Amino acid sequence: MDTVDASAHYSQSIDEKPSLLVLILDTNPYAWSTLSPTLPLERALASILIFINAHLAFSHANRVAVIASHTKSARFLYPVPTAAAASATGGGGSKEEALRDANKYRQFRLVEDQVQASFAQLMKETTVDGLRDAKETMMAGALGLALAFVNRLARVDDAAGGGAKDGGGRGGGGGGGGAGAGGTAAGEVTSMNARILVISVSGDLAEQYVPVMNSIFAAQRKRIPIDICKVAGETVFLQQASDTTRGIFMQLEHPESLLQYLMMCFIPDNATRRHLIPPTQINVDFRAACFCHKNVVDIGFVCSICLSIFCTPPEGAICTTCNTKLDISALGNFGRKPAVVLTKKKRTKKLKPSKATSFSNEASATSTPGTPAS
Amino acid sequence: MADSDEDYIATDDEEIGAHNVGKGRHRGGAGGSSAAGRNGARSKNGNKSGGAQKRERWEDIKRSWDNVVEGEDGSLSSTVAGLLEAGKRKRLLKDTTPLQRGIIRHLILILDLSSAMMEKDFRPTRYLLSLRYACDFVREYFEQNPISQLGVLGMRDGLAVRVSDLSGNPVDHIEAIGKLRLDEGKGAPSLQNALEMSRAALFHAPSHGTREVVIVFGALLSSDPGDIHQTINHLVEDKIRVSVVGLSAQVAVCRELCKKTNAGDESVYGVALDDKHFRELLLDTTIPPVTRSARMSASSLLMMGFPSRMVEKTASLCACHSTLTKGGYLCSRCSTKVCALPMECPACGLTLILSTHLARSYHHLFPLKNWVEVPWKAASKSTHCYACQIPFPHPPTKPEELSAPAKTATGTSVSSRYACTICHNHFCIDCDVFCHETLYNCPACQSSVPKAKVSNGARGGGGDPMEVD
Repeated sequence: MDTVDASAHYSQSIDEKPSLLVLILDTNPYAWSTLSPTLPLERALASILIFINAHLAFSHANRVAVIASHTKSARFLYPVPTAAAASATGGGGSKEEALRDANKYRQFRLVEDQVQASFAQLMKETTVDGLRDAKETMMAGALGLALAFVNRLARVDDAAGGGAKDGGGRGGGGGGGGAGAGGTAAGEVTSMNARILVISVSGDLAEQYVPVMNSIFAAQRKRIPIDICKVAGETVFLQQASDTTRGIFMQLEHPESLLQYLMMCFIPDNATRRHLIPPTQINVDFRAACFCHKNVVDIGFVCSICLSIFCTPPEGAICTTCNTKLDISALGNFGRKPAVVLTKKKRTKKLKPSKATSFSNEASATSTPGTPAS
Repeated sequence: MADSDEDYIATDDEEIGAHNVGKGRHRGGAGGSSAAGRNGARSKNGNKSGGAQKRERWEDIKRSWDNVVEGEDGSLSSTVAGLLEAGKRKRLLKDTTPLQRGIIRHLILILDLSSAMMEKDFRPTRYLLSLRYACDFVREYFEQNPISQLGVLGMRDGLAVRVSDLSGNPVDHIEAIGKLRLDEGKGAPSLQNALEMSRAALFHAPSHGTREVVIVFGALLSSDPGDIHQTINHLVEDKIRVSVVGLSAQVAVCRELCKKTNAGDESVYGVALDDKHFRELLLDTTIPPVTRSARMSASSLLMMGFPSRMVEKTASLCACHSTLTKGGYLCSRCSTKVCALPMECPACGLTLILSTHLARSYHHLFPLKNWVEVPWKAASKSTHCYACQIPFPHPPTKPEELSAPAKTATGTSVSSRYACTICHNHFCIDCDVFCHETLYNCPACQSSVPKAKVSNGARGGGGDPMEVD
């Protein structure tokens, strides 16, 4: 409660920084075609553009990037390099449109045009044949691109600020400029509040586990929250992503009102979120599946060399992943059938054994384990 | 201590630095950093050079202004940018063959808390700076090695003092180190006492894990009760590896300590040149060490519990800290409630972890391959960095420039492009650094299908990625 007093409020509003939103749109055609009765892709895209405009409208310094995570490829929709942009929008056509839309905020129009143009380009390149053998989405690559982009923008701003914003404490004392130090020091994004929003429609791919996890840990180190807007499908990886990086996780119950979800849940930036209670998921699935039978395990056996998980000690005590001969003696008698030891019958005392006394004896024995048995 | 002194001198002429150190101690002053100069280089050539004459760092005089050459336009900006890039690149180029590493580590961090640490050559003092970096070290260590154990010791007044016990919880260590802040360095350090104490602390470490000691050593002396060489031999027998970060000058006994406990490899002994270098040296030890021989660590199968998180309506006591918490994890064997992971179940001793903790260590096992410099000839296929979209310089028009070798004298790429050897896409130096030091993925390999079955650019088939349900 003590954070709600007035002084705290003022001191926090001073360090307002522009925010960078990196939006990853899962454009898996399979998933969108199943969604089309409720939320066709064009409508979703329109909603997303409105959301992006809202984000840009907050501050003139706010930045945005849009990445498509398609089947077979992940690529930037915005920003794109100038040469490619010219070809996508059709060369000189942009000037006419500038005249046509004189009343529109320039930044809005630039982003909208660019996103739509590159999106159209992406759809043109997607052929029926190409889709046959690829049903998954390139989420790991998209996250990697997003993180690299955030990393660069943070760096550019550091250089512009003369490295003065190098944040007290961890910058490495009087060492040289911010740009040089950023690499090894667990570099925080100092000058921009970056966040990543994933609009996800398809499930995840087991093959991408390691790269996706690597991206999640990179985001965590850089303190970039990954928000998940789950329109359809089931994804454990992305659940873990938002949980690890303290992002928002939202499973949409009514996909048709995508815009409202976006505006209500995902618009606040990192600074604002401190004053809000953002939606998160309570139950994150952290259980592991064993490598041998893909069973979900509670208690597993882990190879100390390659960290593979097994549900039972592998055949011949040889790790199936790294072919190491494992020492299972440390496990002791695990898996052996319990032997029943025959004991002599205790001679029961003739005295009436009252239950109360036996309980109290036990209780005293267990509650003070440190006392030596006398 | 007296007999260890004899050994300093005995070796050869090159040990002159150490020789002086010995004298410095006899004068009673520990602050004789002028005695030997700073051997900042981790002597990489250690065992390789063999009998050849070896030059120490202080014998080669380097003038920083020799590196700076005026550019064509008469300004220094291009040279400075080039030097910065070279520095980044140099840091990156390390061996990336997937090696067996000791993922499960048991490490004792020994901090020098002697009067030598009150020197002010590191700001504010060596003492406070080393405490700050020790906290950073603890954080980074557990980030890199989530299923490992750490303990902290201190050397002060000729004694070894226990700062925190061997445990897997970073918060405990950071708190314990934070308490030292109110104190200050006192007395002389004793390497032998500290090493014996850490030997005792690591005695129970299981054979599948590594046993390591990292020493931050500010003094130039060690006042020991007995023969430190015997202790070193014991350490070798116990398979304990010691690495030292010196703060003032190279000390012969530390060098020997590192050499003997690391199978002749001296590169783990470094003396810090400045605070940045100090931090680098210390944080380098957070990377899991390479397993040199099968003898070093026995492989074994560990039983571990993977509990799921639960949320309670009412608060209940956790078994680990006896505090009231709403929610936590239940031990999968005995259903004891613990509040944080990873942890050993306080009731039944089962190691409790999350699958994400295991995943954190995978990048050590499957490192991302180094990217290669791109010559101008091949540079025309890209105009911008694949990952961050930063534009690249255009290829030159002159044919003689076009045929220049890919690698410049400073080790940077002539075209400012670096190519992944798997997917052949081009990246800028910043993305190169970021991908190799933070992300551990190649974004381009991950966003294209053809050869994407190889998940990390280095992962040679067979290895099934870990699945999570």
